[in-house]
Amino acid sequence: MESLKTRKITSVWIVIVLALFIVAIILGILMRLNQGTIIQQSPVTFYGNMTTHGLTMIGIWFVAGMAAVNYLMERYVKTSYGVNLFALICTIIGVLMLWSSTFIGHFHAGWTFLYPLPFKVAWAQWATPVFLSSLVVLGVGWLVWSVSLMSQILKKYTLSQAFAWQHFKKNPAVETPPFILITMVTLVGVIACLLAAVLLLVLLFAEYFSNGSFVNDAAAKNLTYFFGHTIANEMLYLGLAVIYELFAEVSGRPKWKTTWYVAVAWNLSLAFILTAFFHHLYMDFVQPEGLQIVGQLASYLASLPAAGVTVFSILVAVYRTKINWSLTNLLFFIGVAGWVIGGLGAVIDATISNNFVLHNTLWVPAHFHTYNAMGNVLFSLGFFHWFAHKFDVGFYIDKNAMLKLTLILFGGIGFLLAFYIGGADSIPRRYSNYPPEFTMAAPLATVAAVFATFYLLAILLFFLNITKNV
Amino acid sequence: MQHSILWLFLILAGASIIVFTYVYLSSKKANQSDQGMNQPLKKRFWFLLILFVILGIFASVTIPKSPYYLFADETPARVLHVAAMQYAFILSNDAINPESPQGETDLVLPLNELIEFRVTSLDVNHGFAIYDANNQLIAQTQAMPGYVNRLRWKFTSPGKYNILCLEFCGMDHQGMRSSFTVK
Amino acid sequence: MYKNNVFYFLVIVIIGWNTSVYSQQDNIAWKEESHVYTKVLDAPLKGYGLGDSTSLLQLAHQNPTILALIFTRCTGICNPFLLQLSEKLEWEIEHKNFNIVVISFDPRDTEADMSALAKRFHLDQEKQWIFGVTDSIESLNKSIDFNPIRDETRQQYDHEALLVGINSDGYITKKLIGMRSTSDLALLVGSIYNSFTPTHQLPNKNRLFSCFNYDPKTGKNTPGLGLLFIALPAILTIFILFTSNYLGKSERIG
Repeated sequence: MESLKTRKITSVWIVIVLALFIVAIILGILMRLNQGTIIQQSPVTFYGNMTTHGLTMIGIWFVAGMAAVNYLMERYVKTSYGVNLFALICTIIGVLMLWSSTFIGHFHAGWTFLYPLPFKVAWAQWATPVFLSSLVVLGVGWLVWSVSLMSQILKKYTLSQAFAWQHFKKNPAVETPPFILITMVTLVGVIACLLAAVLLLVLLFAEYFSNGSFVNDAAAKNLTYFFGHTIANEMLYLGLAVIYELFAEVSGRPKWKTTWYVAVAWNLSLAFILTAFFHHLYMDFVQPEGLQIVGQLASYLASLPAAGVTVFSILVAVYRTKINWSLTNLLFFIGVAGWVIGGLGAVIDATISNNFVLHNTLWVPAHFHTYNAMGNVLFSLGFFHWFAHKFDVGFYIDKNAMLKLTLILFGGIGFLLAFYIGGADSIPRRYSNYPPEFTMAAPLATVAAVFATFYLLAILLFFLNITKNV
Repeated sequence: MQHSILWLFLILAGASIIVFTYVYLSSKKANQSDQGMNQPLKKRFWFLLILFVILGIFASVTIPKSPYYLFADETPARVLHVAAMQYAFILSNDAINPESPQGETDLVLPLNELIEFRVTSLDVNHGFAIYDANNQLIAQTQAMPGYVNRLRWKFTSPGKYNILCLEFCGMDHQGMRSSFTVK
Repeated sequence: MYKNNVFYFLVIVIIGWNTSVYSQQDNIAWKEESHVYTKVLDAPLKGYGLGDSTSLLQLAHQNPTILALIFTRCTGICNPFLLQLSEKLEWEIEHKNFNIVVISFDPRDTEADMSALAKRFHLDQEKQWIFGVTDSIESLNKSIDFNPIRDETRQQYDHEALLVGINSDGYITKKLIGMRSTSDLALLVGSIYNSFTPTHQLPNKNRLFSCFNYDPKTGKNTPGLGLLFIALPAILTIFILFTSNYLGKSERIG
């Protein structure tokens, strides 16, 4: 079973994630307020905050998923405390470097740092190398963590067992827990995308120090989105691994088992997830048409195992079944709904002919905020809440559970609707100020900021409740 | 088009919320003796099959409408060269020399005739997005340095069209714009 | 194709990532974009292989046409350019019935000079190839935006190697400047048959990690060295996966 050390470090992760989340939400609200012309920020400040907001969010929800998976993994295999700590230190240093490059150095090339923008220096000279180095530090820390977790799994399970291939046949001799299967599939994707990031950074550094221009724009863009899309997607799957492990347990139901269709679905989703990123390049006509179509088909197909297996399983598990509802499994359940709805927005946008009029409008942040803010975040919050109270003696009653949920749902839905309506109104994303012809843009931004504040309140309550208990 | 997409999304999202709420309520009302869903595996199979068919139809209808195939069989009546740079669009009837980029203002494009925009960038990645008189996005492509992307379009209604940048390109990304008139 | 890429890779590594080899083309590359979809001048032609046609557009109306501009006394690019063009068209591009019209832009050149040139390249028996002169070369140059500059002392022209694609309606569909890859040539040939490709690369950005190469045989883009780089994370992941599995094996048995 878990050691006290693992418990402690998981608590540290949780506190850090929630604290950084609050900062990143505040940056987001400031951005929406600026777009709503309620406050006045310079574009440099705005885009710097946008860069910080994006990368911090990606980072914290990735490590939140990893920390949860690492903690629960102790139930099956021994994990390395040292590596966990190393990842924690790398994350702290990486975030500090990132923040200094954006807050002090005013680096503002966006979290996707699309080549060659980081080299068109419109900020302090040192900010570009510090920003890129911060990504190296984060990437190395996370890569080591992922590889370590994967190799620990492979010390107990064979490769085919880890991928649950024996479940393709009836009555397998060895059972692979779904948690191990999903974690394994996810870690492979994570390692691939982190390696892509490392490779991209090597190219960018080579270019930076040689003053050359030998990086092909199209290759850099492919690598960027292979990394960016895949990590954003995989961190959701880390959350799903936690749900597979905990949902039945906290509901007082028999533990979920790996069945043949669960095994098939997760193995398939690995293939789809690694090719779906092509949908980020639909409007890059330089990309061969074949890959564009692969992008649309992979994006469509990725939804099949997700909907047909994971979502359906959750519904089956709940439908007409007596369950001990608590904040944890409610968050999981609502999170899955948020994930589904965000996924609908994503599939719509992953259709090339729709993307033609939706690409880089507010529709894009609309859908990914849906499955992050109303999906993945809830998965992790569910875990945090469970973790914070699992050592409580006897029953505990969370007095403001309903308040927190109401605030999250009310704030979240209002905030997201402003994005979707904005997207349908063709309002561009990543604009510090809106051109006057978009008459709805500023009011929508203001409304979104107000709703997001309710969401923030809920997170503050979570922060207070959880940090008190861990 | 975007508004029908929004409605489609809202209907699907609403349906999802109803399903999740219904399932949640069914659990709340359930007794210890309730057995959950009957024949879940069969239902799962049908659910997947229906989803697969719907997505298959969707893909086969939408893929041929992709911008790469737009007006591919026709010869354009007019070519417009576009060079995007931080933070301006240069539009010209002639090819644009990157050493001394010069564009034209007050461009007028013909109605109902095929226009080919040959879009490139002189520095970083930009977006080239055409907005109609109602500020609806009607067509776009990316402007990537070193490549010329060819966007073909027929304008079917007269008026002023705006061009905005839809790929984040730096501190004045939001101010990068141009326009032309269709008569 | 792969060997080519490795070769380019080595060349570029050796010269130290210096892109100056391409810089000579930097200033003119954009000219490829000029005068596209304008009508080419219907220049009257005299020369070898013309058949019944007496002008450029008459030829083009019969078959889509690629126009090459050279002069016979050229001591520079013209000969290697023509040689490369004929070899690529012979061996690497799908055979179709388009014309290749080689016209001299040097007023000193005569029909006889051009005919001799055709013989020298063993193209005098090739039906596709037409070698000729025109008396309205200046107007023709203007209609395709071609500006050779005469160097009186050397009796030579400072000029770029230019190919112009002309479809059967007489419109310029694409231009290529300089000695170019087979894939670029294939795009040119495709363009005169009005086949639409939504993108093309400008020659001055011929960088190392190009993702895709246009394959003339299939008419599709094929993976290049850059795509290998994109595949590298996946390859490394599989390597890490199997290494961890191998290392884990001993502990599983124990």
